[in-house]
Order: sequence, then structure tokens, then C-alpha cells
Amino acid sequence: MLSLLAWRNIWRNRRRSLITMASVLFAVFFAVFLRSMQIGTYDNMIENVVGYYSGYIQVHKQGYWKEQIIDHSVEYSDSLLTYFDQIDGVTQAQPRLESFALGAYQNATKGLMVNGIVPEKEDVMMNLSEQLIAGEYIQSDDKAVILSSGAADYLKLGVGDSLILLSQGYRGVSAIGLYPVRGIVELKSPLLNNNTVFMPLAEAQWFYGAEGRITSYVFLLDGNRDTEDVQQTIQQTLDTTQYEVMDWTEMMPELVQAIEADSTGGQLMLFILYMIITFGIFGTVLMMTAERIHEFGILLSVGMSRLKLGITLVMETVFLAVNGVIAGMIAVTPLVLYFHYNPLRFSGGAREAFEEFGFEPILPASVDPSIWLTHAWIILIIAAVISFYPMYVVFRLKPIDAMRK
Amino acid sequence: MDGVTLEIHEGEFTAIVGPSGSGKTTLLNMIGGLDHPTKGTVHINGTDISELSDNEMIDFRLKNIGFVFQAYNLLPVLTAEENTGFIMQLQKRPKSEIKERVHKLMADVGLEDRMHHRPSEMSGGQQQRVAVARALASKPAFILADEPTANLDSSSTNNLLDIMARLNKEENMTFIFSTHDQRVIDKARRIIRIDDGKVISDETDPNK
Amino acid sequence: MKNIITIAWRNVWRNRLRSGLVITSIALGIWAGLFSISFSYGLNAQRTRNVIQNVISHIQIHHPSFLQDRNAKFVIPQADQITAYLDTAKGVKAYTSRLLINGMASSARGGNGVLITGVNPETEQNVTQIHDQVITGTYFEASYKNQIVLGKRLAEKLNVREKSKIVLTFQDNLGNLVTGAFRVVGIFESSSSKFDEVNVFVKTSDVYNLIGTDGGLHEIAILMKDDEQVEPFTARLSDNFEDSDIETWKEISPELGYADEVMGLFLYLFLTIIMAALAFGIVNTMLMAVLERKRELGMLMAVGMNKKRVFAMILSETVFLAAVGGPIGIAMAFGSVQYFGTTGIDLSLWGEGLKNFGIDTMVYTQLSPEFYPNIGIMVVVTAILSAIYPARKALQLNPNDAIRSI
Repeated sequence: MLSLLAWRNIWRNRRRSLITMASVLFAVFFAVFLRSMQIGTYDNMIENVVGYYSGYIQVHKQGYWKEQIIDHSVEYSDSLLTYFDQIDGVTQAQPRLESFALGAYQNATKGLMVNGIVPEKEDVMMNLSEQLIAGEYIQSDDKAVILSSGAADYLKLGVGDSLILLSQGYRGVSAIGLYPVRGIVELKSPLLNNNTVFMPLAEAQWFYGAEGRITSYVFLLDGNRDTEDVQQTIQQTLDTTQYEVMDWTEMMPELVQAIEADSTGGQLMLFILYMIITFGIFGTVLMMTAERIHEFGILLSVGMSRLKLGITLVMETVFLAVNGVIAGMIAVTPLVLYFHYNPLRFSGGAREAFEEFGFEPILPASVDPSIWLTHAWIILIIAAVISFYPMYVVFRLKPIDAMRK
Repeated sequence: MDGVTLEIHEGEFTAIVGPSGSGKTTLLNMIGGLDHPTKGTVHINGTDISELSDNEMIDFRLKNIGFVFQAYNLLPVLTAEENTGFIMQLQKRPKSEIKERVHKLMADVGLEDRMHHRPSEMSGGQQQRVAVARALASKPAFILADEPTANLDSSSTNNLLDIMARLNKEENMTFIFSTHDQRVIDKARRIIRIDDGKVISDETDPNK
Repeated sequence: MKNIITIAWRNVWRNRLRSGLVITSIALGIWAGLFSISFSYGLNAQRTRNVIQNVISHIQIHHPSFLQDRNAKFVIPQADQITAYLDTAKGVKAYTSRLLINGMASSARGGNGVLITGVNPETEQNVTQIHDQVITGTYFEASYKNQIVLGKRLAEKLNVREKSKIVLTFQDNLGNLVTGAFRVVGIFESSSSKFDEVNVFVKTSDVYNLIGTDGGLHEIAILMKDDEQVEPFTARLSDNFEDSDIETWKEISPELGYADEVMGLFLYLFLTIIMAALAFGIVNTMLMAVLERKRELGMLMAVGMNKKRVFAMILSETVFLAAVGGPIGIAMAFGSVQYFGTTGIDLSLWGEGLKNFGIDTMVYTQLSPEFYPNIGIMVVVTAILSAIYPARKALQLNPNDAIRSI
């Protein structure tokens, strides 16, 4: 009964209610759009770096991640890998030997990250073979490498040319090798694309004098897995004095913080927006209350309880807010969906600026429903808080005074 | 309105009388150009006002018609003096001329000591007197008063009517009332009675 | 018209609470908008300053082919004439010459890719800050040969400290792989851990022996006394030394300059969004103000206030709301920007992440002056646009209906 009253009351002043709802619509529209673009970008970045490269979880020798040197490698264990593969939530686990090497071709030198990989497995995780822009993919027994395009451009070599690799191997041995470039890939993350070399694991182990050793087990998880759960499962069975199990937030905290710093900027903007809208809604409610003082006096006189009247008023404000929220969400959804499937792509100077910071130059939108939910809640809470004012007025009102006005 | 033909001349002090719903307000509105007849014309000083556009009508009213309404006559944010001079300001008269005329009229309606007061600081009767002063200030062709005494008590009513009657004689200003207040009717020289949109009677008393 | 303006102004104050609310929201919205913009600019400026002071300086000179192909043989032509010119040039604060080589640094523990910079310690100190950021040891003050200064992050990775041995491996100008043993004389920590991990410094003279370029140089970096002088001086240098590639910091790191532009665009967008949000409040308020004065407005049109004047009155009332809220917001913004521009804001909470972007934890807000009048204009335009709907509603009132007696 009260809600019917509240609902009809809103429409007494159609214009004013519509404008208030429109302002909420505007705020929600903009907030959801901005956040979905931001979060979409972060997800994309994480996907590019974590999903395609480092993996959401890695297992290494205890202490490896702090000092990533080849001396901290572990002996590869086939049985361990089999065990990992059958853990709930894991699609596959793959071994890697990663280390630094100086790459040289003719007169150019560049520092490179060498990735000793199992090509078939790596392909499953990274779709590496599909990212080839020249040449062919490597096989497990090849003595050749695949180079990222940024490095290839710098060193000015192409498919078929031979790359000199020079490094310090396991227990300090010299590592030198000459490897033909079998293929060139373009990695999505600009930073990774500038300095990565992929080599078959066996060959990398030979190169670094680290036969039978690897630096990490990398995990590819199922679609909607909970990273924490899987991480815990692994931790429970492994000897954690020997091994460490890390998720990507532990491995790359600076990525997390960079995202958070950027995210904070966006949230600040939204805060300002919401503040302005709050003023607007409050102004509306204030005026509405003042206009209807006489009416409140009458209602209280004829016997409506203060609580019931107050609740009706709260519902009015909430209804206004809810309508605006629903309208805003409906309005923003097509836009977000569009950018989800057709991300904004940058070129020219903007592209360079993005890449300099290590971002792929696209703006995709996220369709995570929690974004919608979060902002719906924010508005509702704002509305609820604002509606305390008319409640307060009603509870302090003396009907006689009210009816004089 | 149903087949009404009327002529009103300069200097008249005329009341249009009738019960609620009789059409007297409609008639007054048509005379004032606030409403248009579906058939027929309205001429003021020779001009056919039914031909005028909205904007032209506003301008015509500005120059030729004075209004005193039942309520909401004055701008609450202006003082009595400013309200009185308002129409003249809209007419873009020189400041000195406005000042002189306003002071005279304020004296005529007996409100010199209230000149700098805002409407909220005056009684209903005083506000109506200011309204009259304002309507007169711009020297219109006639003044239309729609139930000007409806919200006033007896003494204020008599006061107001006396002032209007005096100004009618002194300035030869035409007053046209719409009313069902007997006190106004008693004071009027010509009484036009209306019912159901038709003129029932039209009597002039030369003695008043 | 004057009396319309007077009336409009007084009308604004009829409902003090309502007007106060709108004015407050305008002031707060503007203040918040301008302040957050000044914060972004401060952040960017600081980053740019950092990069210029620590890494790229104002102007750099190279052999035309060097930046494309980092071959050690591409030394700067006429280097001696250039340095002689710079010695006497007015406006030059300092300059230094360097060798730049990609290579590997290794210790007993492991190896890492590094950019080896051969420097002249005396002149280098005038152009970059590394010498001030040495936390252990000294900046080339020892007496032994082949001293090397490296970053803290790298020292940790290679597990070395003062006096430890480092082997540098790189290509000489003939393409031969060369190794040299160096001894750590100092360890520095800058505001960017990435920088610390990848840069090592040695004396140019020590490198000459290993690399055989007969004293040629890869890079000359110049700091000017005055920012404004950078472009004109670069032009003069290019005229005098056509065989060399002479670039300003904006050309070397376009994304630094670009960041400012992109940000400017984005921030005006942000301000527009704020204005739009404010507009809703203004429209609603003015609409209420018009509709509750139905009778009064009807009366005005009845007595002869024409539509233009009524429109002007409503418009003026709206503009007045903005004209009070706007300056307050701008003044608040100006005050806070000035205050935090000198005192600075402490960002220690995000310290770690920011270090990777080369940003210090103190940010000084700054706002170029044209923002203030620009936002003033935006506010007025917003007010005028917001007034249109309520003013039209006022005009649609029929004076007849509006005064109809009860």
C-alpha cells in the first residue's frame, strides 16, 4: 500500500521526477561505461602478460623469483608434471627454462629473455604458432629459435638468419650458441615483444649447461577457475621449503599496483561525478519536502503514523533512484557490448604512447556484471542516505505548524 | 460568451457582474487581450486586437491597458516604489519622469511611508493600492480590475474603492471591474450583468 | 534591461536554500575538476622533469645512423667542434659526452642485460643526478682502473657489493665480442627500479681501451638554462652542424610530450562530463523556480513584459547562479593548487608501483593559467544552455491561465 502511494507520488510532478531520474541515468551510464572500459583494459593487459605468458600460477624453486638466476633452477620431474596436470582446475602444466642472454647479429647487440619451452604445450597456452608473422613454428628437437618481432627489427634479422646467443650458464659456465631463426612472432604485449626468444627446452638446457633442469612450471588454468583454490591445492601437497607456489599478483606486484594506480584515477573521477549528482538529488528532495509540508501536516492529523509517512518518502526517493539506475544500465549496455566485441584501436602517436607504457593499444570493454551491480548499489545507498532528510523532517513535524504554511 | 456586443467609453466606472461561471472573467480577459473570441472582434481605441500576434499583444497591453488582479499583482522582490514604476520602466521612460509620477501616485493612494517596503511587509489592502498605483502610472487607455477586492476586508475594500473612484474623476481614467462584491457594484456608475455568457442588463446611473 | 537584471538577481535569493545548494554544487564540481586536473598535470610534469634530468636531458646529439642501428662505429662527426661550440654558447647550462653500448653484466651469481654508458664523471655530474643517488661507495672516486657504478636492483640480482668484480661483455666497433673485468665502486638507487636494473656506468677512458673507437663519442647530452631556449638552440645547432642528428627531448621521447596533449584532451572531456552533471541540477532547480512562479510570470506577461524580457530574466537568474558558484569554485581551485603546488602531496601509499613508472612520491599540483578562464566560459555556457528549457517553459505559460482567479 505504501509503495503504491510512493510510486504515484513520484509522478505527481512528472517533469521534476523525470529530470532527477535522467541525472541518475547519466551518472550510471557514464560510470558503468568508464569502469567497463578501464577494467576491460586491465583484464586485457593481464591476459596479455599473464594469460599468454607468465601464467596465472607458477611453481619454482623456493627463492627463485626474488633472484631470477639460472643457479636457482630445479631438476625437472616428470611425475610432478603428471601430478600437476590432473589437479582440479588445471588445463595443463608446462616446464620452462628462462634466463637472460645477449643476442647479437652482425653489429647489433640486444639483451634478450630466452624461453626454453615445450613447443606443443606452449602452443596450447599462448597460441604461439598463430602469432607467427613469418617463418615456421619450432619442434621439440629443433636446434633453432623463434624471435619476437621487436627484437628481430632491432637486430635487423629475418627468418633464416642466425642469431648469436651469449650468456652465463648454470654454475657459471659460459653459454654460447649460434641459432638459425625459424620464425618470427608478434606478441601482444609491447614490452614482451621487444626482447623474447623461444627455444626448444632440450636445446636451452644444453645451451645453459643445465641439462635436466628447469626454472619454472607454468600453469594454464581452466576457464572460470578460482586461482586461489588451485594455488592452495598445490601448496598443500608440495614441500614448500623446496618449492614456492606463486600466483601472478605475487610475481608481478608492480603490475597490480600500476593497475590500481590507474584505477584510482578513474574512481576519483566517478567520485566527483557522484558527488554532483548527490547534490542534485538532495536539492530535489529538499524542495519536494518543503513544498509538501502542508500535506504532511494533514496526513499526520488524520492519523497516518510518522513511521509510515517516513517510509513512503524513503521509498519515493529510492524509486526515483532505481528508475534512473535501470534506465542507465539499459542505455549503457549496447555501448559496452559493442566495445567488448569491437575494441577501440589506436594508431599513430597514441599507439606509441600506449606501447611505451607497455599497454596493447586497444580499449576493450569488460562485461563483468559486478560493475553494473557496484554502481547500482552506490546510487541506492546515496538515495537511501538522502531520504533520511525527509524522514527527519516528518519526525520533527508539528502538524499544526505544518498546516498553517 | 454568447453573442455579446459592448461599447465602453472613456471615463467610465463600469462593473461587469455575474455569478461564478457566468463568463465575466472571460469577458474581461477578452477586453484585456488575454483571451480571444472564437467569433467576433475586439477594438481598443480603433485597433482590432484580435489581429495581433502574441508578442504584439503583449506590447499593446504594455502601452494601453492597466491591470489590477485579485492577487499576485506585485513582484515580491521589488519595493512598493519599484513595483509602482515597473510598467513605466518596461516602457523605457526616463528615470526622472518615473520618479516624479511614482511619488505622486504613492501619495494619491496614501502609501508614501511604505515606498521602500516589499509586498511581504504590507497588508493585502496596501498591496492592492500599490497595484492600482502601478496600473495608473503608465497612463493606459483603461484599467481592468478582476475581482480586486475579493481578498480584502471591509475597511480595505472601501478605502480602495474610494481611491479608484477619486482617480477616475480626477484623471478621467476608465475603470472596468469584474466582480460579484456588492460594495463594488454599489460604487459603479454602469453595471453590466452577465449570465450564461449573455448580457442580461446594462444600466447606467448618471448620479454616481 | 537593467531592471530585468536587478529583478533576476533578487529572484535568485528568494529561495536561499535552493540557490545555495546549486551554487555549492557548482563550486564543488569545479573545484574538484580543476584540482584533479592539476594533480594529473603535476604528476606528468614531475615525470617529465625526472626523465629529462636523469635520463635524456634537453638536447641530444648523435650520429644520424646511431639511433636506428646501434653500431659502436657510428660516432658523432665533428665532435670536437661541437664541444668547443658548446663551451662558449650562451644559455647552455651543462653538457656531457657518452658512449652507449648494449651488453651483458655478469658476476659469479649470474648475468643480466645492461646498457653500458661510458661517461666523463666530471661533466656527467652536471647533467644527471646519478652521482647524488649513490647509496654505497662513491661515484668514480677510487683510484683503481675499470670502475663501475651500478643500480641497487642490479647489485641485488647479481649479488655484488662495493669492490666486487663484474664482467662486461659487448661488441666493439668491428663487431667482435669483447669482455672486460670491472670493479664496483658505487651503487645507486634512483626513483625507478627499472632504471636501476638495466643501467651501468663506467669511465669512457676505460672503455676506449677495450672498444677501439679512438676517442669517438656516441652521444652528447645538453642541459639548457631555460626551457624556452631548447627549441631555438637546437635549431641553431642543427644549422651549424648539419652532419649530426640533433634532437630535443620531445623528439627523443615523443610520448612524454604526447602524454601532455592526450591528457589535456581527456581532461577537458572530464570537465565536460562535470558540466553535464551540473546541468541536470541547474535545469531542475530553474524549472522548479519557474513553475512555482506561474502566476507571477503570467502577471508579468499580462501587464506587458514581452517574451524576450521574460526569457532574459530566467536566463539571467541561471547565469547568476553560475556566476556566484563559478568564481567560488575557481578561487578554491586556485588556492588549493597554489598551496599543494608548493607543499606537495605525499603518495607514499602507492610508492612501489609508482617507482616503476619513474614517479617520485611527492607530487606538486600545477595548472596552466588558461584553464581558469576556459572553465569559467564552460560554466557560463552550461548555465545558458541549462536555462533554455526552463525559460521556454516560462514563455509557454499563458498569462490568461496563470492569473485565473480561484
